[in-house]
Amino acid sequence: MDIVACYKWVLDEQDIKIVPGSLLLDTSRAKGKISDYDKNVIEEAVLQAEKDDTVTVTALTFGNAKAKQSLKDALSRGPVKGYWVNDAAADIADGFVTANVLTAALKKIGAYDLILFGEGSSDAYGQQVGPRVAALLGIPVVTFVTKLEISEGKVMAARKIGDCTEDVTVNLPAVITLLPEVCKPRIPGLKQVLGASKKPVQEFKLADLDLVAENTLPKNKIKSIQGYAMDRKNEIYTDGTVDEKVNTLIASLTKEGLL
Amino acid sequence: MNGIFVYSEDIAVTKQLLNIGRSLADVLQVNVTALALNETETDTAGLIACGAEKVIALSGSNPWVESYAESIAECIAKENPLLVLIGGTMRGKDVAARIAAWHSHGLVNSAMSIEVVERKLETKRMLYGGLAVCKEELSEGCIVTIDPRTYEEAAADPLRNGDVVACTAQSNDAVLVGGVCPIVRERADLANAEKIICVGRGLSSQSDMKLVEDLAEKIGAEIGCSRSIAEDYHWLPTESYIGLSGQKVKPQLYLSIGISGQVQHIVGARDARVIVAIDKNEKAPIFSAADYGIVGDLYEIVPKLIEKLGK
Ligand SMILES: Cc1cc2nc3c(=O)[nH]c(=O)nc-3n(C[C@H](O)[C@H](O)[C@H](O)COP(=O)(O)OP(=O)(O)OC[C@H]3O[C@@H](n4cnc5c(N)ncnc54)[C@H](O)[C@@H]3O)c2cc1C
Ligand SMILES: Nc1ncnc2c1ncn2[C@@H]1O[C@H](COP(=O)(O)O)[C@@H](O)[C@H]1O
Repeated sequence: MDIVACYKWVLDEQDIKIVPGSLLLDTSRAKGKISDYDKNVIEEAVLQAEKDDTVTVTALTFGNAKAKQSLKDALSRGPVKGYWVNDAAADIADGFVTANVLTAALKKIGAYDLILFGEGSSDAYGQQVGPRVAALLGIPVVTFVTKLEISEGKVMAARKIGDCTEDVTVNLPAVITLLPEVCKPRIPGLKQVLGASKKPVQEFKLADLDLVAENTLPKNKIKSIQGYAMDRKNEIYTDGTVDEKVNTLIASLTKEGLL
Repeated sequence: MNGIFVYSEDIAVTKQLLNIGRSLADVLQVNVTALALNETETDTAGLIACGAEKVIALSGSNPWVESYAESIAECIAKENPLLVLIGGTMRGKDVAARIAAWHSHGLVNSAMSIEVVERKLETKRMLYGGLAVCKEELSEGCIVTIDPRTYEEAAADPLRNGDVVACTAQSNDAVLVGGVCPIVRERADLANAEKIICVGRGLSSQSDMKLVEDLAEKIGAEIGCSRSIAEDYHWLPTESYIGLSGQKVKPQLYLSIGISGQVQHIVGARDARVIVAIDKNEKAPIFSAADYGIVGDLYEIVPKLIEKLGK
């Protein structure tokens, strides 16, 4: 039984600065990371394998050359093998392109019973790659899952859909997208990190995959990406006694007509 | 390609989509088709009054709306619209992504706005958790989801005419739905609250919620929280968390206690008139999003606030 955990290598938004005036994004200092919720995705796959030794977990990512560093992190979390579609096309890929590429990669890999995705990536939060891949592979999808159990070629999953929870069952192969509450990602130890370098990584180029050119071109035209300008008073009371700080705040809120 | 197609499994949301859909259609001089799934005749007719020229009334026996994605995709293919608007609920996004894949179309989820610029459609949406806004020109046939309550419901005009076409939908029964359990709403609606106090992981234990409740009572505020408080600690119900994947609120006062102010949280609160933060870390990003802030231990600040407000 093969589980493929899909993760995205993204820029850490906490390192992105907004250039005052132009509101352009300065990403020059931004480090990469595994998209926050995708750590939970890898964890959940590995937890399933720990419960059942017939389960094999691999990790799949589509990223540019810099995503190379992500594989060590991903593999230190437990998967036995990494698949990396290494192509600069990832830089401008939208949900349409990413899903086409991942689907082509999955077909090439061949071994998938359960494919796990995050609910949304931390940079784009496009909330679409998982169900798109399911549609392209022609297999069922269960989205927004908080709990899953695999047995006898089936997955039992609990979903959380706004104002209700649902228990569903689906036959494998299937796609599942996970909410982060599903589990807490582990912090890999030194041994896991060292072990990760010995695990195999299979690399693909877009040209190795069965893809027609138009399926690698993003659909919409990006006109601008601008930082959100935060215009606040920023009166922060740092010094003084608790009494003084609280008095100043109460005075300010009274002036605002809020008390 | 012609026309605008709107769908939501929640008919109130369909009417909100008809509001924006109708005004875009008027600018582009095209028709609007709405899809209703298992709605009554009166409700279906209501969509004509709200601005649709045509309503496709789908009916089927599977109560799980996700099972109709293929049927909805077929209806859309027949209409061949230049724009599809789908209600940005979780179920709506599930269906939208699959339709987009089958039709090889673009999909913009949770658009904040959509407008016609030089006869092209343009949307704005958040990137990097709310740090940035991305403006994009849509390709033909693009699907756009719009979160509930982004637009008001379209005003009903009973004099409008239109056609209702009834169709039987074929469900895909690959996913078997067992128990469905509604989550009971335990708290007042934050979306309409005047004042909101928001708690985060700075609170060390659930019993300390009492402190927050006392302050909320003093100033007449509702209580919200960060995602972790609701989803990891379960101290408050899901609908209490504010942010990118939670609620968007616009109170007069938003006061955070022990919330670091990561962009994915603050994006849900930055329409507040006044933002106040209490946090012990001077460098917490919440302070750059705040009008007023106290750097200090909440266990000293909050009791003092309660005490002084009591007088
Ligand atoms: C795709 C995506 C979507 C997300 N959507 C949301 C969302 O919708 N809503 C949301 O809230 N989050 C969301 N998050 C998570 C978000 O990034 C943060 O992780 C989360 O908001 C942090 O919650 P917090 O501020 O309560 O906790 P922390 O970041 O841990 O902050 C706790 C704060 O408490 C302070 N503190 C500790 N002790 C005290 C004390 N005694 N007195 C005063 N201060 C104290 C600390 O200094 C710290 O600043 C999302 C993340 C991702 C990746
Ligand atoms: N480039 C990528 N490589 C691998 N998986 C991805 C990639 N982009 C998105 N995903 C997966 O799809 C999920 C949803 O992404 P998105 O639709 O962009 O919000 C993520 O949580 C990942 O699991």
